[in-house]
Amino acid sequence: MCNCQTIMPSYEAEQHIIAATQHILKALGASKNLSDEFKRVLTELDSHLSTMTIITETEGGRFSEIEEQLKHAERKIIRWESDPCLIWDSGPMEATEYLQAVNEILIVIESLGGLSLSENGKPKEIALRAQNALQRAMSRLEEELCHILFQHKQYFKPQYVLLHSRAEGVFYDESFASVEDEIVDETSQRDGEDRESAECYLDLVDPCVIPNIKSIANVMSASNYIQEFCEAFIDIQREALYEYLSVLEMEKLSIEDVLKLEWDCLSRKIKKWIWIMKVIISVYLASEKRLCDQILGDFGSFNSFCFIEISKDSVLCLLNFGQAITTGPQKPEKLFRLLDMYEIMADLHLEMDSLFSEDNGSFIRIEYHKLLSGLGASARETFMRFGNAIASDASIRPFPGGGIHPLVKYVMNYMRLLPDYCDTFNLLLKDQDIDESNAVVEIDNGQDFSSSTSCPMAYHLRSIASSLESNLIDKSKLYKDDSLQYIFLMNNIHYMVKKVKDSDLRLFFGDEWIRKHIGKFQQHATSYVRATWSSVVSMLRDDGNTNLKERYRRFSIAFEEVYKNQTRWCIPDLQLREDLQISTSQKVIPAYRNFVGINNRNVSDKHVKYTTDDLEELLLDLFVGSPRSLHNSRRR
Amino acid sequence: MPATEHQSSFLRRISIRRNQVISMDGNHEQELEDLELFQKHVADWFAGLLSPSEELISSEPLMSISWLRKLVDVFLCCEAEFNTVLIMGRDPSQICKPPLDRLIPELMERAVKALDICNAVSSGIDSVRQCKRFAEIAVSALKQNPIGDGQVKRARKALSSMLTAMTIDDKENHCKSAERTWSFGRRGNTAGANKERAVGNFRSLSMIVAKNWSASKQILAMCSNLVAPRGGEPTGLASPVYILSSVMVFVMWALVAAVPCQERSGLATHFQIPRHLAWAHSIIALQERIAEEWKKKKEKCSAGLLEELQKMEKLGQSLIEFADGFQFPGETEKMDEVRAQVAELAEICRRIEEGLMPLQMQIREVFHRIVRSRTEILELVDNAGKVSQPIV
Repeated sequence: MCNCQTIMPSYEAEQHIIAATQHILKALGASKNLSDEFKRVLTELDSHLSTMTIITETEGGRFSEIEEQLKHAERKIIRWESDPCLIWDSGPMEATEYLQAVNEILIVIESLGGLSLSENGKPKEIALRAQNALQRAMSRLEEELCHILFQHKQYFKPQYVLLHSRAEGVFYDESFASVEDEIVDETSQRDGEDRESAECYLDLVDPCVIPNIKSIANVMSASNYIQEFCEAFIDIQREALYEYLSVLEMEKLSIEDVLKLEWDCLSRKIKKWIWIMKVIISVYLASEKRLCDQILGDFGSFNSFCFIEISKDSVLCLLNFGQAITTGPQKPEKLFRLLDMYEIMADLHLEMDSLFSEDNGSFIRIEYHKLLSGLGASARETFMRFGNAIASDASIRPFPGGGIHPLVKYVMNYMRLLPDYCDTFNLLLKDQDIDESNAVVEIDNGQDFSSSTSCPMAYHLRSIASSLESNLIDKSKLYKDDSLQYIFLMNNIHYMVKKVKDSDLRLFFGDEWIRKHIGKFQQHATSYVRATWSSVVSMLRDDGNTNLKERYRRFSIAFEEVYKNQTRWCIPDLQLREDLQISTSQKVIPAYRNFVGINNRNVSDKHVKYTTDDLEELLLDLFVGSPRSLHNSRRR
Repeated sequence: MPATEHQSSFLRRISIRRNQVISMDGNHEQELEDLELFQKHVADWFAGLLSPSEELISSEPLMSISWLRKLVDVFLCCEAEFNTVLIMGRDPSQICKPPLDRLIPELMERAVKALDICNAVSSGIDSVRQCKRFAEIAVSALKQNPIGDGQVKRARKALSSMLTAMTIDDKENHCKSAERTWSFGRRGNTAGANKERAVGNFRSLSMIVAKNWSASKQILAMCSNLVAPRGGEPTGLASPVYILSSVMVFVMWALVAAVPCQERSGLATHFQIPRHLAWAHSIIALQERIAEEWKKKKEKCSAGLLEELQKMEKLGQSLIEFADGFQFPGETEKMDEVRAQVAELAEICRRIEEGLMPLQMQIREVFHRIVRSRTEILELVDNAGKVSQPIV
């Protein structure tokens, strides 16, 4: 401001001029005619005065310097208005100069700041002009900002890695037709999967333009235009996120749409959702947050405000899909998807909490946690329903051949997948009442008491196995033939034991359970042998009334009857079949050999239909599941 | 009639009912009594909304934020009372018998549609909040003294963004929003620049609302099978189901009409509740008033009937008009008028700031409540035995 002094005429000089002017006026009043020379001097004075007008009209003229400064800045700002190029595209010099111009305007405004602008006059005029210039500059900067953000946004397209879910294709349908053992074997490879997502950031905007954006933010904030900056920033970044979600092929589905989807399709979408959740929350939003911090870190609450506005809609959309899933019917096959969803959300919840840690993010945090617990409740409910469904699954007709009932296959294969979710499951089941009377294993001896057999999941698994067993007993009663009842129970319990032993389920069922159930199916085997063969063998016994020939004949008929029936029956497990054939042999063959040995001299060969070797061979045809008959063909 | 009052009276009722359930045996009479009480409450609550007390008329006009908050409260009360009527002390087998075997699944479908509407409305509320932010910029610019070209232009820009934010979600108004938004193509360098891409405070269709989703179709579908129980005297639970459904449709309809919402053409052609039903008188009257308002505003491309939104829209347009004709320093009379408008706009912003978040929270509560009740009712149906068809 010191320059003003030199421009302003000193008081003394002013007094001289005033005196001289008064003198001239007096002289002019006295004469009527003007000489040429006099005219020339006066014209000179006039033109001199006209150049001085401004100075003399300002209040002291001390604002002319400020005005010059403003004019200079205005020119730079206006020049760009007619330029079709973008400032930041035209080089760093141009950008710096432009920002410099804005700063000059800000200086002008600041230097007028102390003055009262209410009266009309020069300061007010300059101030208004400065405000106007500032507005034009801000409008331009906003435009530049949008361009920079838009043109330098960076996409990364992550490969869609289908999460190898641990539970593929265990599908419940009334006929259990789709259940095959193999289906499950291809799964459970997911263990090595990186659950803890490594801290990873992406540059959503080319890092080389970040300083540019930051400088725009700074100057807009200094100009009190930070709100405009934020709105534009939010707008572009939110759009970018929408676009990114569509790159990830995230569909916008209403809850109604989701509820109408077929299971297969829904299951695919759930897997995709899990993947998208992971990418969006732990990568994209983390990066967005970092971007906001870089640009708006100095501007307090504007930072979190922008981040939340950018991400809110998309996050709520993702959560809404989860909500739709929990709203749908709780079919057993959904359990694993629900657990997958629960796990990913549990994994991400700390990240989520830190992304939305501010007060204004609490809405999202609350929704997130609501969904998390909703998924948990839904998984729990689905599991309970699964248990009830097993208990109440009723058949009308006996299962042909006494083989492995599809329900057992389904339930066991289903259960085999659960140990992978053990931690989650225990967490979810912790507060549930456990019906201990249903828990089969006895922990009394303390030997089998390890954490895995006593965790909530273990109780539930055993409880399910126990309802399955009672259901099997009901189903076995549908057979009229006691022997077939035993075969059926032996087969199915053996299957259960095998599935338990061959998988991680053994850790939850425990040795005690396994021992007990091996005992059970062996008991059924013994009962079978007794039920079928005791009467057949008894034909050979001398009851005092029947002659030898007749005893041979009756034995053969009884044997043929059993053979006809039981070749139709089925023991799918080869080892088990062999074992039963052996114990059958042990019951039948020694008795027959003995009988033949004692009586072979008293009976001619034609009455002895089967040799011991014949019988031994024929017994191997039992339980193969293909009916044969001995009536017409004599095997020799 | 503040919200808490409903709540507490409702809670009191539950506890009374609990005691009654134990001692109750012949429950037909109880049923009728329940129904009567339910109808009476519905009638009373809506009467309170239709004609509020003297001192509230000016502070809480129809379709204002505080009025909508009361409306949502009333819905929550109706819903809660319905659940007690339906669930408590009820012989569950009744639920599987006609007509409930049909009515309940229909109600559940309606509930799912209501969930989607809640989401759309919540997103509409976000647009209102965005409008408010632009309005605040305009207010702060125009509060300056003196008002110069710079402030006027700043305010104008913010106000036009505000009007854009109001209109975008509605298909009917797409034309309008397109012309308001500016595009990147504007600057020369178009070769590399993107095709006409609308940016600059253009809020695209909300993420949460599915692409072809239509609020008006949704409302229509909700009342497609909504028929008042026939016969001289409404019997059993059919009547409460009908009452709750009507209330649900009405409340959702009013919310959709209030805030920017995707695709609302033909919203005024509303559902019909038979006039002879005493409990419905106030609802019908409200419905008529809102529908009339809707028809009136439709020609003017209104963003929604929310009182604050309408005022904001009107003030916005008027201030833009002022800005377009502004020449410094402006006539004193005109400037006084502008200052009054700015003060009004500031007051609306304050009301929005105060009431919008609570309203949004309430709508979220409605959402969660519907989800919970739906689950409970489905469980009830499940326990009651056979469910003839899977219920979506």
